[in-house]
Amino acid sequence: MKREIIVASLKARPVRTIVSVLAVTLEVMLILVVVGLTTGIRDETGRRMEGVGADIMFQPPNSSMFLALNNANMPVAIGDKIAEIEGVRAVSPVQTLVNSQGGSLEILYGIDPETFDAVTGGFLWHRGKMFSAPEEVVVDDWYARAKTVDVGDEVELLARKFKVSGIVEHGKGARLFVSIKTAQEMTGSINRTSLFFVRLEDSANTAAMIKRLDETFPTYPARDMRELASLMTSSSIPMLDAFINTVVFVAVCIGVLVIFLSMYTTITERTREIGILRSLGASKAFIVGMIFQESVFVCVIGAAIGVVGSFMVARLVQAMFPTLVVLITGGWVARAVVFAVASGILGSIYPSIKAAAQDPVEALAYE
Amino acid sequence: MKPILETVDLRKTYKVGKIEVEALRGVSIKIGAGELAAIMGPSGCGKSTLMHLLGAMAQATSGKALIEGQDIASMNDSERTEVRRRKIGFVFQKFNLLPALTAGANIAVARTIHSGHKVYGDDPHLTELLELLMIQDKMDRKPSELSGGEQQRVAIARAVVNRPAIVLADEPTGSLDSRNSEIVLNMFRELNRKFKQTIILVTHNPELAAYTDRLIEMRDGVVKSDNGDHISWDISGEMATAGL
Repeated sequence: MKREIIVASLKARPVRTIVSVLAVTLEVMLILVVVGLTTGIRDETGRRMEGVGADIMFQPPNSSMFLALNNANMPVAIGDKIAEIEGVRAVSPVQTLVNSQGGSLEILYGIDPETFDAVTGGFLWHRGKMFSAPEEVVVDDWYARAKTVDVGDEVELLARKFKVSGIVEHGKGARLFVSIKTAQEMTGSINRTSLFFVRLEDSANTAAMIKRLDETFPTYPARDMRELASLMTSSSIPMLDAFINTVVFVAVCIGVLVIFLSMYTTITERTREIGILRSLGASKAFIVGMIFQESVFVCVIGAAIGVVGSFMVARLVQAMFPTLVVLITGGWVARAVVFAVASGILGSIYPSIKAAAQDPVEALAYE
Repeated sequence: MKPILETVDLRKTYKVGKIEVEALRGVSIKIGAGELAAIMGPSGCGKSTLMHLLGAMAQATSGKALIEGQDIASMNDSERTEVRRRKIGFVFQKFNLLPALTAGANIAVARTIHSGHKVYGDDPHLTELLELLMIQDKMDRKPSELSGGEQQRVAIARAVVNRPAIVLADEPTGSLDSRNSEIVLNMFRELNRKFKQTIILVTHNPELAAYTDRLIEMRDGVVKSDNGDHISWDISGEMATAGL
């Protein structure tokens, strides 16, 4: 019966109901899309790093595993010393650059094609060929689709014009590849490099090799590439956890305030109805339960629409920006629904207590 | 058996700002089971206050109000809620139906609150009531789709469906035209006669008293006259009167 009263009340005030549901929908979408974007980009970056095919990433002192955050470099000659170590099959220097032109943030790899192929097993070509001139660039298929470029087209990177020489399958660390000499020249670091990808004769020896590299080059971090993706958690990215927590907090605040306002308004409008129920013998717990159930009902509907809406937004984002990945996980869906319901409960605590505390005589006299 | 309702020196004082207003100044009445009584008096005489106290809607300042021997005057809110749920049925001047629900759902709400759970299936008593009140075909309509008289009859059905000890009706014809007033009053009399339902009508309308067996007149917070004075209450509390 309580359900009938709740449904009838929601139907009787359609605008309030729709606004409340939309607010909760917005809350859930805000959480899922923002978290999905950060998780998706992080996850996709990790998978791309794994896809390089190297066993070890060797970097200069004080480097982050997030290449976009690095500006340190080291002499290319270090690579020769690493290559001399027994068990190392190939070493490839990579000079990284960050391109923020064209409304996106991309890592460019300055590579030596011969050693890069030796480490990674080579690119899978869609069309075109490897760059053969300083002003040529190889792009991956996602970048080509996102920017609608093809072989022979011109792209502007770091205020320099490049001609696309080839398009390769995505998943080899970066989306853009130029000659290492060009990259060194652009960063003013001739004969220096940001990192080395190291391929071993036997991948099973990775841990032993990392130990050996740590002993030989104590301040230079050497990381296992297979563990890199799992190490790329939100807690390892500076301030990302704080950012996600802030987004969730703001979203929950929106939910709490809207539900509070909605329920506060409705109990004022329904003062007389509450008086009628009290005159029929409805207890305070009955009234509190009814208000709680009503707000939870609104939140569950809002959350359901929010979850569906988030997946739709994710698809839309990927259709519009192919290089962006929105990863909505089951764990975050569950969390977003819990946050939505919790905000409904929090937002209706005061209105429900106020409703239950109404004097039945005064409530019945309310016009 | 004791009277179904009895008040002993019942008093109620309101505080309006710093001023204390004595709405009831010692009311002592007895109502027997199955009586149809009217409490009458001008506005401000305390009859609505008395109805709120008898209906366990408010707490008395002093005195006693006994329903089936249970003193409700000093009860706390949750105890009074329980009394309303189990023993009282209200009929209001403005009908007070829940506007978003159908007539049937309004009656079902009262049944659910009374029983503590959703009530399924037909109730022969309810069917009989609806036939008596001539609203059996109005159950799917919302209050806004019913006339004033029909709304009040739904409100009466809601008040009596759980067989309360007492039905309190506050100006039940106050919002009705004369034809519907007559219908409603006749229905109160029918309910009283057919189901032995104790009904107390609270009104300022002298014409309404003609439909009741007993008239209690109030003025300035006290009972001015009671034509039930001649009723003698036997040792076990049952009414024994020549006229009734």
